[in-house]
Amino acid sequence: MIKFNINDTEVEVEPGCTVLEAARQYEIEIPTLCYHEAVAPSGACRLCMVELKEGNWSKLVASCIYPAAEGINIYTETERVQNVRKWLFEMLLSKCPGSNEIKEMANKYGVSSTQFPIEDTDEKCMLCGLCTRICEEVVGLSAISIVDRGVHKKIGAPFLVPSDICVACGCCVTICPTGAMSSRIDSVRNAPSVTLTPVAL
Amino acid sequence: MNNIPKIGVFLCQCGEKIKPLVDLPLLKSNLEHEPGVMCCEVLPYPCMHPGMNYIINKIKEKKLTRLVVAGCESRLMLKKFETMLEPEGLQKGQIDIVNLRGHVANVSDLTPELKAEKGSKLVRAAVAEMMAFMPSLHKKISINNPPVIVGGGIASFTAANEFARRGVSCLLSVPENDSDTILKNIHKQFPGERDNYTRLKTIIEKVTNSPHVKFLPKGELCDLTGITGDYTLSFTVPEKKAVVKYSAGAIIACLDGELTPPCPEFGYDGKTVLCQTEFEKLVWGYEIPKGDIVFWINDYESGQPEFAQLSVDSAWAMSKYILERSRSSRVVILYNEQMPISLSAAERAVGRKLGLTWIPYNKALQPVIQNKYISFGNVTDHLEYEIPWDKIILSPIRKISEKALNIAKILRITHSKNEFLGIHHVKVRPEMVGRESTYLAGSARYACNLNDALSQGRKAGKKNAEMLQKSMENKLYAPHSVYVVDTDKCVGCGQCQDLCDCSAIGTVEGSGGGLLRIVDPMVCTSGGTCAAACPYQALTLQNNTNEQREARIASLVKQLSGDEFAAFACLWGGLPAADNAGSQNMKYNPNIHILGIPCIGQVDTSVMARAFLEGAPGLLLIGCPPETCHHSFGVDHAWSRVNLMKKLFSLCGFDRQRIAIAHADLNKPKEFIHTVENFAETIASLGGAIEKNPENTSLLRSIYRLVKYNSRIRLLLSSGLRRPWESTYRGDQRHALEYDRSDFTEALKEEFVKARLEETFIAEKRPFSITELTDVLSEDSMREQLDELVADGVISHTYKEGVPFYTLCN
Repeated sequence: MIKFNINDTEVEVEPGCTVLEAARQYEIEIPTLCYHEAVAPSGACRLCMVELKEGNWSKLVASCIYPAAEGINIYTETERVQNVRKWLFEMLLSKCPGSNEIKEMANKYGVSSTQFPIEDTDEKCMLCGLCTRICEEVVGLSAISIVDRGVHKKIGAPFLVPSDICVACGCCVTICPTGAMSSRIDSVRNAPSVTLTPVAL
Repeated sequence: MNNIPKIGVFLCQCGEKIKPLVDLPLLKSNLEHEPGVMCCEVLPYPCMHPGMNYIINKIKEKKLTRLVVAGCESRLMLKKFETMLEPEGLQKGQIDIVNLRGHVANVSDLTPELKAEKGSKLVRAAVAEMMAFMPSLHKKISINNPPVIVGGGIASFTAANEFARRGVSCLLSVPENDSDTILKNIHKQFPGERDNYTRLKTIIEKVTNSPHVKFLPKGELCDLTGITGDYTLSFTVPEKKAVVKYSAGAIIACLDGELTPPCPEFGYDGKTVLCQTEFEKLVWGYEIPKGDIVFWINDYESGQPEFAQLSVDSAWAMSKYILERSRSSRVVILYNEQMPISLSAAERAVGRKLGLTWIPYNKALQPVIQNKYISFGNVTDHLEYEIPWDKIILSPIRKISEKALNIAKILRITHSKNEFLGIHHVKVRPEMVGRESTYLAGSARYACNLNDALSQGRKAGKKNAEMLQKSMENKLYAPHSVYVVDTDKCVGCGQCQDLCDCSAIGTVEGSGGGLLRIVDPMVCTSGGTCAAACPYQALTLQNNTNEQREARIASLVKQLSGDEFAAFACLWGGLPAADNAGSQNMKYNPNIHILGIPCIGQVDTSVMARAFLEGAPGLLLIGCPPETCHHSFGVDHAWSRVNLMKKLFSLCGFDRQRIAIAHADLNKPKEFIHTVENFAETIASLGGAIEKNPENTSLLRSIYRLVKYNSRIRLLLSSGLRRPWESTYRGDQRHALEYDRSDFTEALKEEFVKARLEETFIAEKRPFSITELTDVLSEDSMREQLDELVADGVISHTYKEGVPFYTLCN
């Protein structure tokens, strides 16, 4: 067993656990977006940043991928952590202004506006790649992937053409933390030939 | 050991997502004393490392053999649990996840206590299912017979070469094995492929000289029986005037498409206006034509725009060949402006150097062939231009020949809706199927060029050789959930084979000479309509049996009260829609209790009848949107089964609206909520469950008996499952509507009286006279039914003072 401290409270976990897993076990809250228990963590969204202190020196680590180690001191709510979280939320709000999930979460942490320019007011996707990970690791296919690189990066089927590989299981829609995949799934699966039209109650 | 159900139940707090919404301690105390439940614990996160380790310790400590986790979406989480707990001896099917967060906690405004009650109902149902679970054998597949390559397509050689290269012996059935003869004729299927001939020749020669490849005598494939590992292929061999049989471990079908000349409306005359295949023969066999040669890529006009690219490639290869050899020829390629030309810059440069002209034409104006000139509309200036010609070459029509289609039929390769054999249409996760139907390669799969056909052959050979390799190493297993046929119960009626959409059902000769059905576990996609259609219940889905489903629905329904109702939601439509509604915190009527199921087509009528017998006020089956069933027709077949239930309800005077089929798209949770709300309203308007009185109970019991055990009705039902708008049916299938109105309804009435009689005898345990029975059942004629029951040995009759009295045997 590994013993270490989170917010000056001693916690104990088996070797191989991450800091986030330890915190969750002890019901210490750390916000996450790109983390899901079903797949391996990737540390894409950086929201789970925590401060690791050693003497008067400290660093920020992504708790979802940082392995728990004997005797480390982790702080989840220091000024430095809160500051970086605020910036991250501001960046997320500028990148995905369409996502209610992100808005709610940012509000919870006291961020309601962004100082960065907003390019597309409908954009929801933050490119965390959770959908591509579930498709590969759980479904066993790679029907969606990250297409293009750098600023052109987006999520979709190869060449952004509906793919025969996709079995339309909908795991990507369910797992998407920002609600972006639901507007995108029809560009991945072959959209159903019969669409269900809404009926007023 | 695994047979003794020791169930562990783990309730997830999911941080702040479930804990404040559901009264978990109450849920825990509700479940702790359920039969079979060895431990019930609340964990902060059972799915994370510390939680998982805790569960593993509990499994070791309490020797748990089944696991129920109440947490979130099983579609996402089940695989992690299965992978992590496999070393602990928990196999697929022994772990179940109830979506407490998405189906209970998030979706209504009930109090935490009421949510805990709803949760307990769902978890108890899962526990009941686990109690009925029978672990299956993880079936090892051994392939001892050699692979056979049939069909005679050109891909046969690359497939055989792949086997030879890996030192695997194989049998090859091709109409011709002399490389020169093959090369002389190959242009008929693949025009303009001269560049590849040397390579192809080497491959053919390698195969002919390989000690691993055995050529079968020339003959036509006429029959196939058996399953992976043990196929028997029959060929009619004209030389021997006999049918020769071969055993095969695996089969590769290499089938090529057919190219035919275009219709005369394009000016085709076979002399000066030619098809690409004919022109190639001319160039190859005689001399290079001089003068103006025009390749008109007319695929758009002949209705096959998707193959224009192939025609362009052939035209390009032929033009290059001509221009390189003859300076007195001028070549023009005339193509539709919509068509992208995929030539590289280097190739374009070669074309320019050779003086090849590419002319796009206006898509709105079809080029017209006149004597010596062909006119077309220019794209930019809208003028009509003419170019002179001496030879015009048109694109061929690509399709699949009757012969190839026939072979595909014998090999049980499903013919998809377009002209070609296409790819497998069953859409499930790769882990759910051992292999996609028979390996198929060649241009009959989909029109392609020679290179593609050869590489498909290579791939098929590689995949097949890998499968054989695994089998040799004793590592080849069938997927966990596949259907198995109880050969003692199977009578060989073939309904399942006619309905199966994955071609997994084959035949074996039974001891009595009948053709019994068996399931190929490597091809089965566990769709399940086959088992629900079996009149004798000879088919069972391992890990997900009918008994399990009955136990689950019975347990759930018994706990329901008031207007609460149960619903089956399929893994591909209803369940994800419900999951997504939950993850998006949408609120809907909490009366619905959702049970996930792989396909709605799996729900046997006996499961539906059981739900009502146990007191359900309503049952909703939520499948995929129409025409998108992942198992092709599951949702349509379920429709017919629901229809049967409705008919029976009418006979009993119950409301037909109590059971309904719904369609849900995974990405439309809002529409899913409309479905739920409206059905909940219907059920509420009916005033709860069917009134519990001896008469109704007897009727419901009769319904259950009828749909579960009456093989006549089950057979009639399964032979009318095809949808009315389908025009062709396999085997004994009949037109559903016609059928529905005549024979079926009548037969149902007759058999229902029989079921009611039987039920009366069982319930009362005393002899009855006919008059008494007429009173009890309020039916007029039941003589025939009574005679049949006597003939079946269910009841016997004796005479008391000249009046026949019937009584139950034993």
